[in-house]
Amino acid sequence: MKSGTRRGVAVALVAALALAGCGRDGGGGGQDKAKPVGEGKAKGDITVWAMGTEGEKLSALAEDFMKDNPDAKVTVTAVPWDGAHDKLATAIAGKQTPDVSLIGTTWMGEFAKTGGLDATPPDLVKKDDFYEGAWNTTVVDGTSYGVPWYVETRLLYVNKAAAIKAGVSTPPKSWDELKSAIKALKDKGGAKWGVNLQPGQTGSWQTVMPFVWQNGGDVAKDGKFTLDSPEAVEAFAYYKSFFDEGLAPKDLPQGALEPAFVKGQIGAFVSGPWHISVLKDQGGAGKYDLWPMPTKQSGTSFVGGGDLAVFKDAKNRDGGWKFVSYLSRPEVQAKWYKTVNDLPAVKKGWDDPALSGDPQLSAFGKQLEDAKSPPTIATWEQVSAAIDAEVEKMCKTGEKAEDAAKAMQQQATSIGTGA
Amino acid sequence: MTAAASDASTRRGRGVPRLRRVLVGWGFALPFTVLFLVFMAGPVIASLLMSFTDIRSADLRNPLGVNLVGIQNYSRLFHDELFIKSAVNTAIFVLAGVPLTMVCGLAAALGLNAGLTRFRSLFRVGYYLPVVTSIVAIAVVWRFLLQPDSGLLNSLLRLVGVHGPNWLYDTRLALPSLIVMAAWRNLGYQMVIFLAGLQAIPQELYEAARIDGATSWQQLRYVTLPALRPTLLFVGVIATIGYLQFFEEPLVMTQGGPLNSTLSVSYHIYNQFGFGNYGYASAMSYVLFLSIVLMSILWFRLLRSDEGR
Amino acid sequence: MASLVLHAVLVVGLVAMVGPFVWMLLSSVKPEGEIRLVPTTWWPHHPTLDNYRDLFARLNFPTYFLNSAIVAGLITLGNLMFCSAVGYALAKLRFPGRRALFGLVLGSVMVPGMVTFVPLFVLVANMGLTNTYAGLVLPFLAWALGAFLMRQFMLSIPDELIESARVDGAGELRIFLRIVLPLCRPALAALGILSFLTFWNSFLWPLVVATTEDKYTLPVALALFSVGQNQTKFGLLLAGSVVVVLPVLIVFLLLQRHFVRGIATTGLK
Repeated sequence: MKSGTRRGVAVALVAALALAGCGRDGGGGGQDKAKPVGEGKAKGDITVWAMGTEGEKLSALAEDFMKDNPDAKVTVTAVPWDGAHDKLATAIAGKQTPDVSLIGTTWMGEFAKTGGLDATPPDLVKKDDFYEGAWNTTVVDGTSYGVPWYVETRLLYVNKAAAIKAGVSTPPKSWDELKSAIKALKDKGGAKWGVNLQPGQTGSWQTVMPFVWQNGGDVAKDGKFTLDSPEAVEAFAYYKSFFDEGLAPKDLPQGALEPAFVKGQIGAFVSGPWHISVLKDQGGAGKYDLWPMPTKQSGTSFVGGGDLAVFKDAKNRDGGWKFVSYLSRPEVQAKWYKTVNDLPAVKKGWDDPALSGDPQLSAFGKQLEDAKSPPTIATWEQVSAAIDAEVEKMCKTGEKAEDAAKAMQQQATSIGTGA
Repeated sequence: MTAAASDASTRRGRGVPRLRRVLVGWGFALPFTVLFLVFMAGPVIASLLMSFTDIRSADLRNPLGVNLVGIQNYSRLFHDELFIKSAVNTAIFVLAGVPLTMVCGLAAALGLNAGLTRFRSLFRVGYYLPVVTSIVAIAVVWRFLLQPDSGLLNSLLRLVGVHGPNWLYDTRLALPSLIVMAAWRNLGYQMVIFLAGLQAIPQELYEAARIDGATSWQQLRYVTLPALRPTLLFVGVIATIGYLQFFEEPLVMTQGGPLNSTLSVSYHIYNQFGFGNYGYASAMSYVLFLSIVLMSILWFRLLRSDEGR
Repeated sequence: MASLVLHAVLVVGLVAMVGPFVWMLLSSVKPEGEIRLVPTTWWPHHPTLDNYRDLFARLNFPTYFLNSAIVAGLITLGNLMFCSAVGYALAKLRFPGRRALFGLVLGSVMVPGMVTFVPLFVLVANMGLTNTYAGLVLPFLAWALGAFLMRQFMLSIPDELIESARVDGAGELRIFLRIVLPLCRPALAALGILSFLTFWNSFLWPLVVATTEDKYTLPVALALFSVGQNQTKFGLLLAGSVVVVLPVLIVFLLLQRHFVRGIATTGLK
């Protein structure tokens, strides 16, 4: 056994030395020149990957597209969200990509940096047609590598009965007003917890960072992380205060939020549009109000969703982009909402009565005007995990906001931007 | 090697010529070995190489365009607080989980093998069910079991006047909770192997022991366990491998929390691959590999019986 | 008395072991809202077959089932053949390179699967095997864990049995097929069970190798319903899990009958 294993290691080491001749040739991704797309209708096979429900239902839109483009054949493959990141990464590595894929907005930086994505052709779509926060998720080092497909943003879900009891009739406008409203939900509204805010762990940055943005802070400015700026520290301290003052639970079991909210035991929580249907399933329809984010310097929320990108290794690049451009038409975006409840990334898509006529959705539409996404850096997943870990320490162990900010800044800086 | 082989041939080969032994041996081993080398050797060597480079996901399309960084990835590990934390968690998990699961798995196999004459298949399937039940369902039920206010466990504790803790959200209790859950989930897998192994023990050995007046305990100690050594070795090694790569339970139950108290090395590696740090994650994998090898050598030492040849 | 205690202990153990499975069965016929209740409930208040109806309507079920059966079936058969042959060689035959080969096998059992994942995919892609059954099956035919398992079991076969057959003039293949394999029935059953379980449930590899849905296996297709904590369709997921688990249980039931003493073992002195 031993001699065999040792021999294997030796072979590997020799090969490693042989590799030493190679080295980075600098750059790689980020400096692409966008090439235009040919005129006329789409032709040939177009392969598309889309995750989850989007993947299951996209064929409906593909049918319409093929009616307009009789020489094109769109094949949609539904990909599970679990493992989608691995599937995209391995496909890029093995040069086995489809022509088009849905890509989570926070993955854009990483995949653009592989050089596997094609730069968005000029004049394919108009940047100003999209919500600014959504468009920015496609831009890596100044070049756009895709087109926003659908969006989501976060609002405060508030239990109506508790709010009435608490005497909070209008949405709070400032941080101070929000704090006293949450206090009132607990003290007078009968809620055990005034609000549920995510106390760290995966994705908590999506709830925390909006407060930093509202305070004029940001993740990074001019290529340098600014997680320990005074604006950020103040925002973290504000977030932390909800836990210190006993207004938000530190260890709510998974799945306990919705039932407790419907019963009024939790007064409010921050989440995206999917909770409309989750609450409906749990008998909470009509029992809540939606509040926009409070305003400090601004009333910014988080914008997420999905982008559509075409791959460098695509076999039918032109066809792929034409399909993407088709999916960005306002009427197609509205139809897509009616098919899977995905909110349009194109502003004009919201003119459809199905969206504009719904007060709950309009609240999300309004918030989208002031919603931001994190920087599209290749290391974002790792930086955000570091933020999540510090948020958890801060909320649960009483670590000071300054120290949490310092630790985030230090870790983010050592991780770097992957440039 | 040659000396040992010729020695063996004079001792026991009895005229089987060397060439014939080569042909027969490799004849049986070759189909496996070819497939194995094609699909395993390349990827292993490639990943080992990766661990000495700064390869990241950004290099996926041009993997040769990376820089060699020597053992930098490996030395970095010892300054990675999360890695050290996860290594401690993993060690606890292995030291507690492996013996616990093996004792339970063996006990289940012995119980189902010896005492039962009726409903044998039913019991076997029952004990095997956790292995096949979807992790989603398992997670929901275990979360319900461990729920602080309304959970089954704390309700039972209340009956005896104890106020139960919030198992999964307490930094000291989360890991032990997951260890028990993993043992519950994996003992059926080991039971299958033990059941098969028990069949190979000659019945005469038990008869002889009974004639000598051995109690059931003595039979277990002096007949079953020694005869089961190769099986114990296999189960010990794969249990160690499995528990050193402890991953699924924290992923679905705690996401490594609270405060990283259930973060395992494998989970950390998984995260690093997810972040695109392929070089660093590979280095970590090979450190994990080394610890598996060391633990396995211990097992081989401990259960050496037919291994001397 | 002792047997009564044993039975009681085994029954208590059984209840603890089957709990979650029973919950999975019962909850697969509950509406979504009822599954998500916290604290969870056992008995369905509004039993419905909607989850199953939805499952079969929304998934191209026969295709995925067939793919899973082909992939897991071929790999299991391959494992039974290749792993038992190499296990025999490693346990009972003396030939140069044996120890090195065993070291390689054992070593690769210990390499964490994650680390070889991307290189293996690049290899399979370069062989042009993405989106083929070959790409799904070939890399796992030589299952190191199975080889290790078979070797360990074969160690306990008495050498004398093989020697005496050889003295009687039996060919090597004949010895293997007629003497060794029948003695290994329990081990082959265990290998079959574990191999089928592992590769029937395998998720990440089929996910990346299959690039169109007509090559998806059941676990991959089922994962389409799992979209994060909030939007996951638990009802569909549970109904799907019940369906996925059935073949594994059937294989287990069929093969566990072979956990009986080999006839030859008892006859030998």
